[in-house]
Amino acid sequence: MGVTDKFPDGFVDKIAEKVTDKFAGRVDLGELRERVPVDKVRDRIHYPSLNDFQRPNVVTTTADFVFSWARSRSIFPFTYGLACCAIEMLSSGFARFDIARYGYEVFRPTPRQCDLMIVAGTVNEKMGPVLRRLYDQMSEPKWVIAMGACATSGGPFYDGYNVVNGVDKIVPVDVYIPGCPPRPEALFQGLLELRKKIEDMKFVPTPAGEATID
Amino acid sequence: MPSVFDTPAPDAALQLALDRVKRSEEEGRGSDMEGLAFNQVVVNMGPQHPSTHGVLRLVVTLDGELIKDVIPVIGYLHRCKEKLAERRTYYQYIPIVDRTEYLASMNCEWGYVLTVEKLAGIEPTRRVEFIRVIMAELMRIASHQVAVGTFTADLSPLGTAMAFYTFRDRELILDLLEEASGARMMFNYFRFGGVRYDLPDGWVEKCHALMGKMPKLIDEYEALVKNNAVFLSRCLGKGVITQEDVAEYGITGPNARASGVAYDLRRTRPYSVYPELDFRVCLAEHGDVYDRYQVRIDEMRESVKIVLQCLDMLPDGPVQVGSLRAPYVITPPPGECYVGQENPRGEYGTYIVSDGSRYPYRLKYRDPCFCNLQIFPKLLRGTKIADAVAISGSMDMVLGGIDR
Amino acid sequence: MALPRIGSADMTIDQVAARLKGEIAELDDVRIQVPDTVVCRVDPATLKDVAHRVRDIEGCGYEMLNFIAAVDRGDKLEAVYHLYSFVSNSYLELHVGLPRGKAEVDTVSDVWPAADWHEREAWDMMGIKFLGHPDLRRILLRDDFVGHPLRKDYADLVENHPYA
Repeated sequence: MGVTDKFPDGFVDKIAEKVTDKFAGRVDLGELRERVPVDKVRDRIHYPSLNDFQRPNVVTTTADFVFSWARSRSIFPFTYGLACCAIEMLSSGFARFDIARYGYEVFRPTPRQCDLMIVAGTVNEKMGPVLRRLYDQMSEPKWVIAMGACATSGGPFYDGYNVVNGVDKIVPVDVYIPGCPPRPEALFQGLLELRKKIEDMKFVPTPAGEATID
Repeated sequence: MPSVFDTPAPDAALQLALDRVKRSEEEGRGSDMEGLAFNQVVVNMGPQHPSTHGVLRLVVTLDGELIKDVIPVIGYLHRCKEKLAERRTYYQYIPIVDRTEYLASMNCEWGYVLTVEKLAGIEPTRRVEFIRVIMAELMRIASHQVAVGTFTADLSPLGTAMAFYTFRDRELILDLLEEASGARMMFNYFRFGGVRYDLPDGWVEKCHALMGKMPKLIDEYEALVKNNAVFLSRCLGKGVITQEDVAEYGITGPNARASGVAYDLRRTRPYSVYPELDFRVCLAEHGDVYDRYQVRIDEMRESVKIVLQCLDMLPDGPVQVGSLRAPYVITPPPGECYVGQENPRGEYGTYIVSDGSRYPYRLKYRDPCFCNLQIFPKLLRGTKIADAVAISGSMDMVLGGIDR
Repeated sequence: MALPRIGSADMTIDQVAARLKGEIAELDDVRIQVPDTVVCRVDPATLKDVAHRVRDIEGCGYEMLNFIAAVDRGDKLEAVYHLYSFVSNSYLELHVGLPRGKAEVDTVSDVWPAADWHEREAWDMMGIKFLGHPDLRRILLRDDFVGHPLRKDYADLVENHPYA
């Protein structure tokens, strides 16, 4: 890719010829039976020069794109599998519903090495402090998916004396996946929603735990 | 809320462990290792840990690598199911029973439905009995596949080879169950006196084809580990449960049958059409980790046999007793009873006290894993941490049942 | 030590009930629930003695404790002990009625070690105290939970919901 605006002599002309040859061969020029003049094509081909990289907002956007793209494509999930939804999460990791094709197969058991906490299952009052502690042990940037009806809002056990109605009373949640249990395909849809959310992240530091979309 | 920078005060179980350590130090039993006066460390294998057994917490007192004491702490998944039973009608409660032992949902529903049918005096039709046996045995195969797969996955960090095979085949069974009932895991299929849907067209042939393939697939699983020296040395002779332990601690299911106790509710207290079926109770002699694994593999084969017999003997007939409306709200007469059923993990049943209203008065679960977990402190004392993981994997715990 | 073969006593349920009634006089109201359960009532003061004798009775000893259910009957609390006998392949239910104000009964965890956790659960859920239990503390709920949820007069308290 050219970052200099100096090319060997005749290089640009050779390229322009090749381009016009191809162009002439494919399209019926009709009345334009003559070949398009080379200099007209050469003026139209724009090779990037160093000047283009000196404008600051262009640099930020590209870096944002690259970092967000990398972050969203290689999330390390933290399996916080509490109950039945954990089995569907497990099934999504195995052969039929392969989570590795999205790049998310690196399930780490320790929160210190993860960025995404998938809370799969019912959270109760005894588990609440443990959940908060594990969330705090994850490092920025981090996201939380509430998988299943129990993590979203208490699920079928909403009126239990010991059940927390939704994990968002303890940690901030980015994506909710309804279902009881949600099929692995539903989990994948949730992960893709999260991927879209991460892709919209900017490089400017955000307040802890929040990915802003503006 | 606690911040990550505070060390929380020890809770009751941790305090108990610390007290025991202090007492043993005062009595001069600080360490069993030579030359060390005191070497005990209390470690929390905390409610979140990388095996799939769920939110079980083990407060382990270690002496070097030997385990001196284990205090299991449960209740991190307590979902108040027994109290919820008093606020849901019998029919509304069926999906909640599903979620008790979520790997063996069909069997759990059957355990509940058996008790209610006995209380209310409902008798299902013969076709329903055969369908129930087929579903329960398919679920038993699927549950054992998960148990065996995750057990071998526990033995080594990336050792999920067998788990890939077993989960792949479990998906084939779940496909069949999904065709019949509509759901992959929580089926909500059993009803009082019947089942929700009849078997769809072509289901019997598909099931036949899959059961024809299954013995070879089970051979595949075995072939992966049968002659592996590391697997055998980690499993043979470890975590022995004696027959006395089985009686004293109320251990049932494959864990008991691996010790040679022929306690299988399908034979000792038969229900449904099991007396007419030809299958054997899988036993083993020594009661160690390898025997528990072997009994599960054998039971998968026996279940395949049972399913094939039932498919051949399946009669025609209705799948719901009475009219469609009748079982939606049932009011069993006042009384109480308990019926146990053979879950893949042991004896599962519900003890229901009814007062004649639409809601159960009291519902108590007899859960196999709750009873099996009690022997942990005794089993794990004196073993190494690596063996502890193997032993706990072989006991096949599902926290949904333990905590209810 | 091997357990006896299941059902080797070859007794019908009526014979089992008759044997129990004959040998242990403290069992009140011995009834049979078909097909294979004997149901009876026991006074809480004699429970320990009955437990030992029921476990060691000749010919149909009840070696296995299946579960202990705690039931709130309104006027009283009840602990239901469900036992299994390998040698006679039969079940036995002991109903022990306890007054609400003072729900205390002797532990049977030295007779059947399986009773340990079942009694802890009965204490946790229903508030039945088992005297002589080695470690009677909450098992399923948080240590600082207030109240016993499965009682019929349990009301949901704010202290029990720090996170909701």
